[in-house]
Amino acid sequence: MTVAWPVRLRRVPVRTRIVAAFVLGSVAVPSLVALATWNLTTGYMLQQRQDSVVRQAAVNARLVDASLAQNSAGLGDLLTGLASSPEAAAFVREQDGWYSSGTASDGIGTDDVPAGLLAAVERGDTARQRVRVGGIPVVMVATPLPTSGVPFVEVFPLRDLDRTFRFISLLLLGGVLASGVLGGVLGRWASRRALRPLTELTAAAARVAHGDLDTRLPVRADPDLGPIAAAFNDTTADLQARVERDSRFASDVSHELRSPVTTMAAAVEVLARRQDEMSPTARHAIDLLDGDLRRFRRLVEDLLEISRVDQGASRLSAEPFDLGELAAAVVARSHPGLRIEDGCPCRVMADRRRLEQVVANLVDNADRHGRGLVRIAVRRQGPCVRLEVDDAGPGVPVADRHRVFERFARVSDRDRHVDETGTGLGLALVAQHVRLHGGRVEVTDRPGGGARFAVELPVGEDR
Amino acid sequence: MADRLLLVEDDPRIRAALVLGLTDEGYGVVEAGSGESALRLLDDDGAFDVVLLDLMLPGMDGFSVCRTVRSRGDLPIIMITARSGSEDVVRGLEAGADDYVTKPVVASELAARIRALLRRARPGRPESTLIRAGDVEIHPDRGIATRNGEDVHLTLTELRLLTELAQAAGNVVTREQLLERVWGYDYFGDTRLLDVHVRRLRRKVEDDPSDPTLVLTVRGVGYRVAG
Repeated sequence: MTVAWPVRLRRVPVRTRIVAAFVLGSVAVPSLVALATWNLTTGYMLQQRQDSVVRQAAVNARLVDASLAQNSAGLGDLLTGLASSPEAAAFVREQDGWYSSGTASDGIGTDDVPAGLLAAVERGDTARQRVRVGGIPVVMVATPLPTSGVPFVEVFPLRDLDRTFRFISLLLLGGVLASGVLGGVLGRWASRRALRPLTELTAAAARVAHGDLDTRLPVRADPDLGPIAAAFNDTTADLQARVERDSRFASDVSHELRSPVTTMAAAVEVLARRQDEMSPTARHAIDLLDGDLRRFRRLVEDLLEISRVDQGASRLSAEPFDLGELAAAVVARSHPGLRIEDGCPCRVMADRRRLEQVVANLVDNADRHGRGLVRIAVRRQGPCVRLEVDDAGPGVPVADRHRVFERFARVSDRDRHVDETGTGLGLALVAQHVRLHGGRVEVTDRPGGGARFAVELPVGEDR
Repeated sequence: MADRLLLVEDDPRIRAALVLGLTDEGYGVVEAGSGESALRLLDDDGAFDVVLLDLMLPGMDGFSVCRTVRSRGDLPIIMITARSGSEDVVRGLEAGADDYVTKPVVASELAARIRALLRRARPGRPESTLIRAGDVEIHPDRGIATRNGEDVHLTLTELRLLTELAQAAGNVVTREQLLERVWGYDYFGDTRLLDVHVRRLRRKVEDDPSDPTLVLTVRGVGYRVAG
């Protein structure tokens, strides 16, 4: 069923909406029940009480009537006796005014008797009315005395009944509140449980997006949730198969390229060794061939290296060594004289062959795309060893800082005036090797201009 | 006389290219397209200086050829592997290879490895003094090592490795130094080359190779001989 939520509500998270619905439901129903209970209970109790005081007043009226008929002098005492509690009172009107149960201190006087009540007595009716006198709920019963017909008013306090009502109301209100809280808790639990597959799906999708194509969701028996997990798993498996097919293709192609490369390299070497016997044109041709063949060979080697990791056929052969020494050795090959800033010993537990490639490719990148290597530094940083390679080029625009590590990435500005002898895989291999070691690589601006490529590697356990 | 190489490679195009390149480098190259024919050639005409052995061969694979050649003597073997990072390298070294190159192979680089290997086989100046390492005696003049008077069958690479360690007389020799002195690599040699050779060496000179008392590991640095 599709529920068309109002636009504003759609912005409220599903979880909040579920909780709200639970709270609403668990408050509304008990509220109705409580309201009905309240009305029935209080109505009934009040009715009972009023009936009983009217009966009581009738009995008392007859007593007062008899007392008046005997013209007894004890009327005052009788009235006082009728008012059993301090809040009760009784009044009789004689020719010369009101007789009262007396004590003025109780606060209830004849002034408090509503005029309507007296009017009803004048008409010969018995009437009752609930009023508050000095904050105290009372019921007043007014009746004409049977013989004389003079008004007799009796006041009955309702304090105990009021207290009972208050208690009942608190009880009902508390029940409704408790039910609401319970509903909220239940709603939270239910929403979390209901949304858990979605949460898992989100996390799994994020892992896939980060390149972990082995991610699968547990398939549940639930007919509502099972298909989601199954569909996700199928999609990821398809994606993985396609990626593997592609990388296998790249790997197969580069394998196939190895024998022509070997043939060409051997042939060109033989020719290059005889350059002295050649005409200048032929020499030039051999030079061109030799240069491109070298690049082609590097490309095939890089492709083999990169597709190997794609196919999961790669193992780190970790050994302990000093990254500073390795970097110095790499730099010495291409930049004799450049001193490496070495804040070490910076021992790492890593694959030497791969890290040599990392450093060599970063140096090569600085020379090729960054107008030359200007600084290389290795130092310990917390649990990591950090390698920084700075160049003097235009830097890498922020928008391209991820793309620059992609295979065959061409970042427009950087590559406008560079020689095209790179393989386009250098930085991708750097990123791949570093990732394989559980480290990270980033490019930032070098203070003072240029790009700074930084690699951080966990030191690793020394065996 | 030119050094003679036996090239064992099943891909005829790679074979032809390497024969061309290595011949041009001044070597005499004999080709074999399979492991079986390589062993036949070795039987018929033993006068080879180095075997170049592709590990991926149809029929009898390179590892078996390697082990067979090694069981017959210390003829130097350079293996040609498909991938440098793979387990094949360690397996090939365990089978007895002295060094390796990876595809795509370039003839001039292969020639450089061959030269380094042959330097090992024929040291420029024969050291005549006897070198001692524990109960092992090295006779550089005869190119052999003996232990308690008995000949220890070391390959040339193993002998060179033990000699380098013994000459340091108990001092640590770093992995990089050993790679450079024994294999002729600069800083970037593959340390697996060294580690596997040390394992092979220990199997021949230690009573208990898993608990070495002669060739000791100095963690993270290199090796030294006890003493």
